[in-house]
Amino acid sequence: MKFDKIDNAIIKNLKVDARTSFREIARKLKVSPDTVSNRFEKLKKEEIIIDTTVVIDPSKIGYSFIVRFGIKVKPAYSSQILDKIITIPSVIVASKIVGIYDLIAISVARNFQHLCDLRDTILEMPYVERVEIGIWVKTMELSPQYFLI
Amino acid sequence: MSDKRMNEIDVKILRMLQKDARTPFKEMADHCNVTTDTIKNRFIALKEKGVIRGSTIVIDPKKMGLGNLVILGIRIVERYSDSVLNMIKKIPGLCVVTKVIGEYEVEAIFLLGDIEQIGTTKEIIEDFPQVKSVDIGIFVDKPLLCPKNFEFD
Repeated sequence: MKFDKIDNAIIKNLKVDARTSFREIARKLKVSPDTVSNRFEKLKKEEIIIDTTVVIDPSKIGYSFIVRFGIKVKPAYSSQILDKIITIPSVIVASKIVGIYDLIAISVARNFQHLCDLRDTILEMPYVERVEIGIWVKTMELSPQYFLI
Repeated sequence: MSDKRMNEIDVKILRMLQKDARTPFKEMADHCNVTTDTIKNRFIALKEKGVIRGSTIVIDPKKMGLGNLVILGIRIVERYSDSVLNMIKKIPGLCVVTKVIGEYEVEAIFLLGDIEQIGTTKEIIEDFPQVKSVDIGIFVDKPLLCPKNFEFD
């Protein structure tokens, strides 16, 4: 799909503030709000825009740290396990990965016990072979425009 | 936020916005059985307290021609993690860089164009005298966000 001026403006504006009104974007582009609205729906349908969401500060709602789980699984089972990992409530993002691990999951944790519970939950899933933990400290340059924590 | 009921409203607001950041205040008000102004004020308060840092869209980087999300696991000579962090901060395409307690000392996630750029970025980091080794993990498909991102009490 080719992007034109309108698509780019929608993406640019909503990246910075997903609640920007279509009217405001339309005014800048000198098109009708309906045009913007239709394009937005199209971008969502084509899954270029996957979702809109708020960026919440985990430390303000009782989470002490962010953890990266690197997961080694039995070959051919990674999709199945990924589907399960994504349902764990405190997991923010998860993906298949090529290289250091088979799957990666980034999660928030309330305290050390919670962290251990999360690791055990993943370890207890069938076909999971190993779970490595990296606790993120002094995390900087979180780009709220893309990386959602 | 001393009022218990207000706390419940805050949580509801956050949950709804996590699923769809564009949910109109009116819709949230109906859902919570309060006025639109109450929702608006709670929303502003949540932003002022820093609970809500902002709102954004999640895009598929590949469909935007932006290539690949890559995580780098970096081992460094101890005690130098701050200076390495500061150097990595300047490299284009960075999404997040952090110190780590675990297998690596530093981890960084980049959004990079192609394999060549991944290689170049790895080399740039390997060239830092404090860096011992760099391991690469490339995200396959688009990263999945947990439907509600994360829960809270």
